[in-house]
Amino acid sequence: MTLRTKTALVLLAIVFTVAVSSSHAQEKFRLKPGAKGKVCLTCHESFKEKLKLPFVHTPVKAGDCSDCHNPHTSSYGKLLASNVNRICLSCHDGIVPGKARSTHKVAAEGNCVKCHDPHAAKYRNNLLAAGNALCFGCHQRIAKQIAGNRFQHNPVEKGCLSCHTPHGSANTLALLKTDVPGICLTCHKPDAPAFGKAHMGYPVAKSDCSSCHDPHGASTQGILWGKPHQPVANKMCNQCHMDSSSPDALKTRKAGYDLCRGCHNTKMTEILGRKRIHWPVVDRTGCQNCHRPHASRENALLKKPQLPLCGECHMDTIERLEKSAVKHKPAQEGNCTKCHLPHSSNNVFLLDNTSPINLCGTCHDWQKHSSHPIGEKVTDKRNRNLTMDCSSCHAPHGSDQKRFAWYDVKIDLCVQCHEQYKR
Amino acid sequence: MRRVLRHIVLASMSLAVAGGSHAAEPVKFKQMAPIYVDGKGAGIRQPEGVACRGNALVVADTGNGRILRYTIAGDTWTPAGEITLPQLPSPIRVDMNSKGEIFALDGASRKIARISPSGDFLGYVVPSGEVQGAVVPRSLRLDGQDNPYLLDVFSARVLVLDPSGKIQREIPFPKGYGFLSDLAVDAGGNVYLLDSVLKRVYKAAKNSAEAVPLTGSLQEEAYFPTSIATDRQGTIFLVDQNGSGVVLLGPDGSLRGRRLSMGWKEGFLRYPAQMCITENGAAFIADRGNNRVDGFLITE
Repeated sequence: MTLRTKTALVLLAIVFTVAVSSSHAQEKFRLKPGAKGKVCLTCHESFKEKLKLPFVHTPVKAGDCSDCHNPHTSSYGKLLASNVNRICLSCHDGIVPGKARSTHKVAAEGNCVKCHDPHAAKYRNNLLAAGNALCFGCHQRIAKQIAGNRFQHNPVEKGCLSCHTPHGSANTLALLKTDVPGICLTCHKPDAPAFGKAHMGYPVAKSDCSSCHDPHGASTQGILWGKPHQPVANKMCNQCHMDSSSPDALKTRKAGYDLCRGCHNTKMTEILGRKRIHWPVVDRTGCQNCHRPHASRENALLKKPQLPLCGECHMDTIERLEKSAVKHKPAQEGNCTKCHLPHSSNNVFLLDNTSPINLCGTCHDWQKHSSHPIGEKVTDKRNRNLTMDCSSCHAPHGSDQKRFAWYDVKIDLCVQCHEQYKR
Repeated sequence: MRRVLRHIVLASMSLAVAGGSHAAEPVKFKQMAPIYVDGKGAGIRQPEGVACRGNALVVADTGNGRILRYTIAGDTWTPAGEITLPQLPSPIRVDMNSKGEIFALDGASRKIARISPSGDFLGYVVPSGEVQGAVVPRSLRLDGQDNPYLLDVFSARVLVLDPSGKIQREIPFPKGYGFLSDLAVDAGGNVYLLDSVLKRVYKAAKNSAEAVPLTGSLQEEAYFPTSIATDRQGTIFLVDQNGSGVVLLGPDGSLRGRRLSMGWKEGFLRYPAQMCITENGAAFIADRGNNRVDGFLITE
């Protein structure tokens, strides 16, 4: 079959589909002859201008307004024939792959109109804006970063769709067209001498490029993430990895925290010397449970901001925090280290102070305002082995009560101890 | 044919009734007097470990940096001395062998101290034999034959030692685990591993070198379980630290309910740490946040 025959067949199929669907609409609402595509415009005159735009949605062009709208009544806004988040799928089903490995939230939730105009638009695919401008409407942090970068990554300038698919990806994370490093290797050739030199001869062709490089560009040479680990910035890979000529060149010289101890010995000694360790520090992954070894956009080479990072393991705490009507500000802001030491501590909950009262006192001037007796000499009436401190009445992360108290502060909280006032 | 079918239906019904009655059997916690003090009347502080064997009870009084011993008689207890050792500044997990020796994991050094019944330091448990890689124990248990089981988080394995400390075998951590915080060994020699992050229990059958999931995620039942224990009936108890409760599982991993809740008063828990159950069904929980050890009689 020649290309010309194939094209003719496809066109024929499209014409047939359009003809069938429009005749279906015509029959469904028994429109007068010649009314199709015109009767709606008698009232919706402004639409005539819209139809002059270069890209018009196919049913609109065919005058099949009733493909999406019910001309008489509807249970949905704008007289839509079905739910606004589902209606596009009646024709564009499968636009987000089933069991996708990653999805664009707006597409997965059916918020198609966030990017597309359902009737007509200036831009191809009925998009509301052209190129990256459309994406940057939501992804402002990336837009801001890209605008401030000293070193641009060429594909970013060409457009987000150079690397990403807009709706969903069946096989890749982050809506990438191909997983890393495959997508990087479409442009970057590892056998090129410059590539080898830039990577100090290490065989990185199968490594995760984004562990060092920010794919959206950066202000650091080699578009390394904003805060590179010093040995990476100094191109001293062999401080942690075997020599590049070694058969196990990418293998680290030591495992777990022992590797990091080589440089951070004082810090590690301090961490390991306290009574309570944060156990991931001493597991097989060690420091890399929380820190990126090469470069990061976060301070202290953290993998991500504190709240989602701590939430990787302590999801229960984060969920309870999210459900709390009244949240403790540092917890709400994801500033976990305001109260907790992340590596180890001599105190329970890895708190940064032996006394919970003194810990709270670093922010709260309780001594001037509190009238309730607290301290080592005040026994908790509920439990003779406990003394009164801030956490006797307050849930440290948050609660549903005023001032994140454990119980309603009017009566319930007080009668926990002062039972004689119970009603 | 009809007769055969009838037999099948009757047999399956009786099986269902038998299984159902077992599954529906409620596990009850009857409160005993909690332990607040040592033999001199000084208060316990932030206890994180508890172990019981026969009529002996051992408590890791973590906040005070010592081990406390008690003798259990029915639903009462009496202090039986304290052990303070420079080699054990911060005991966090404890267990005992049949000779009355105490094995205590120290949170500061992450070493397991072996202590004689008279309270003398006998040395640290250092696995001997062909042990590859470093060992950082997060928890330990002893089985009925006094073999120590070490939960080694650094090299992601359970080390099974003989009573002299020589390595017998290893059980690698299961694939895709989150973070394993504790282990238990039941009377049949089965090993249970508790994943605090994925809220899941894994089981390595006796002498098996592979741990496989016994449960799915217990996310709906547990917040952050950090300790696991079993009793003679094979019931599995998960101490839910952040949920301040105990989750009960059948020997097959089926959910049998949740007991206790958060509070300061007796009968409640606040951030409990470890649990032990005697052969007679007395359970003790190191109630870290309440500075006490709670006791319960468990009836099944």
